[in-house]
Amino acid sequence: MHFVCCIKQVPDTADVKIDPDTNTLVRAGVESIANPYDIVALEEAVRLRERYGGRVTAISMGPPQAGLCLREAFALGADEAILLSDRSFAGADTLATSYTLSQAIRRLDLDLPVDLVLCGKQAIDGDTAQTGPGIATRLGYTQLTYVIDVEWIDPDAGKIRVRRQVEGGIEIVEGRLPALLSVELELAEPRRPSLPLMIRSLRSAFQVWDAAAIGAELNRVGIKGSPTWVKSISSPPVREGGPLFDGERDIAGAVTQCLDAVFSDAAFSAKFLRKWED
Amino acid sequence: MARNFKGIEVAEIISDKCIACQICIGECPVGAIELSPEGVARIDPELCVGCGKCQESCPVDAVRFEKRKKRRLSKGERGLPPRVSKDHRGIAVFIEVMEDQGARVSWELVGKARELARSLDTRVLGLLVGSGVESIAAEAVAHGCDEVHVIDHPRLKNYLSAPFGKALADLCEDLRPEILLMGATHLGRDLAGVVATRLQTGLTADCTGLAIEEETGLLLMTRPTFGGNIMATIFCERHRPQMSTVRPRVMKLPERDTTRQGAIHHRGWSPRESDLAVVTDLIKEVAVAGSVDIVRAPALVVAGRGACDASSFPLLQELADVVGGVVACSRPVVQAGLMPYERQVGQTGKTVAPRLYIGVGVSGAVQHLVAIQGSEKIIAINSDSEAPIFRVADVGIVGNYLQVVPELIAQLKRRSQGP
Repeated sequence: MHFVCCIKQVPDTADVKIDPDTNTLVRAGVESIANPYDIVALEEAVRLRERYGGRVTAISMGPPQAGLCLREAFALGADEAILLSDRSFAGADTLATSYTLSQAIRRLDLDLPVDLVLCGKQAIDGDTAQTGPGIATRLGYTQLTYVIDVEWIDPDAGKIRVRRQVEGGIEIVEGRLPALLSVELELAEPRRPSLPLMIRSLRSAFQVWDAAAIGAELNRVGIKGSPTWVKSISSPPVREGGPLFDGERDIAGAVTQCLDAVFSDAAFSAKFLRKWED
Repeated sequence: MARNFKGIEVAEIISDKCIACQICIGECPVGAIELSPEGVARIDPELCVGCGKCQESCPVDAVRFEKRKKRRLSKGERGLPPRVSKDHRGIAVFIEVMEDQGARVSWELVGKARELARSLDTRVLGLLVGSGVESIAAEAVAHGCDEVHVIDHPRLKNYLSAPFGKALADLCEDLRPEILLMGATHLGRDLAGVVATRLQTGLTADCTGLAIEEETGLLLMTRPTFGGNIMATIFCERHRPQMSTVRPRVMKLPERDTTRQGAIHHRGWSPRESDLAVVTDLIKEVAVAGSVDIVRAPALVVAGRGACDASSFPLLQELADVVGGVVACSRPVVQAGLMPYERQVGQTGKTVAPRLYIGVGVSGAVQHLVAIQGSEKIIAINSDSEAPIFRVADVGIVGNYLQVVPELIAQLKRRSQGP
């Protein structure tokens, strides 16, 4: 079976801030990491290969530095890795990104038919969760989002059965292969890379494919292929911290003062007394 | 003067004059300038933001740049062909069906759509897709839709991405709305990506603010990004519909008025079997015992590292019962294996916006704080007066939670009986 895993190199978002003077993103000193959801997807791909045999191919779209996350993919057990890198890919929104990734998957499919594409539920920088469904729709694959467990794959029947998170519950769904899974963190705990794999990862070379290599039309990739544009960025509204009460000496007094402060908002107090009914 | 794909007038280096001093390279705020192998500065037009700093700093006037007023781009100047025309009219809301009823978030969006429709002088269209959903159409009118368009089909009994995506995209192709809003639920986010890809239009996820830009009539979509550290305002100029998923409980629920009048249109739908070729079979829905949805709970009692002790959970549960909420936790508690992942609040857990958040022993890592900032009131209990959570809490108590929480329960019980 051929498993393809999409990985995005992202800034460690906890560190990203806005420079209040210039109102631009401060990226200096922000570490780049592989998107944690995608690493779970890769772990699952490797486990499925161990169970059913086959090959795991990791792909990532990004500037040359994004090759770092592909090194990590090798260390975690990917057989092959491809970096989709071209100046024309820069500035892509999710529509252009899903086009670019799906073009690459089409090319991979020519070499060895693809059975399953795995990607993280979302990337921690954009949090959109849109690229997975975009790829599935473009390729006509079965779309299975928010997957928390892969129960089985039946390669002969060409079917897969997964559990997925839905609003207020869990669904068990069977679908036809090829399929695209977008995965939740709880699906799998990524392993620690073994020493031989780490050594291998340093020796392994990933391929670099540009727009021509995947037969991409230049007006459908990068900023040209992106319908959405960022108009402005700003810092989120800041919550003001309120009073602190000492609950070490006088517990009852601190609790009373605390609740007085909270319920001094009459509208809020009324909602509480109505037990939050609208 | 050259213009890049964003329509920005970009600066150019006059090669003959450049002395390779590299001052502009240091001045450029976006890193768009590099020294070419030929030894002259070169500006990447796609990265250039047209600020003119390179021109100001150049000692030998080797930069050609003229700041002009912004001009709207005409057809053909950008990549994707425009898909805007005058007959794109109306603000559509996808009516999500949840437990055989219209989802609350859909009604919130109908309320918002009414407000946007006033600015644009247009109509609110409810789009309803499913099987046996007749009664919900009337509800959509009562909540504010001028028209409801229904595709009722046996193949749409259970939600599946492909047939629902096909049905909703078909409706949009027929009705040509200028805006399409959907709830940012699991289902809504799964479906929105399918529909936007089918319609080849722009989609902005998980918005918390929507407004119409006065001069252009464009939808401005504001959303948290980079894990909530930054708010970005996005627009989609040349493609329709302008699509957005919107977080639940951000927009106000409109008044339900059963005397409202609206037209309900049933639409035939005959998908080709090939369009449905990837249909999956829903085996069964598992109602997980003890499963709670912390996103929808009106109040949360959140256990943090400082309350990472299973023996104290009954106490927290009692507090949750008193405030009409459920118990959730921060990441360390899940990592310790004491609570399931579905209860985790935070960047890699869930973003929550309850009416009341009570943090018990939560210190307040950045990833946790950004995920709770939409809460109406935050009460924090922590033994460390320097805990970061106190900087965002509306009120805080410094102390041992094993002593504070029982007192809090007792006093809340008295207050909930009313004065």
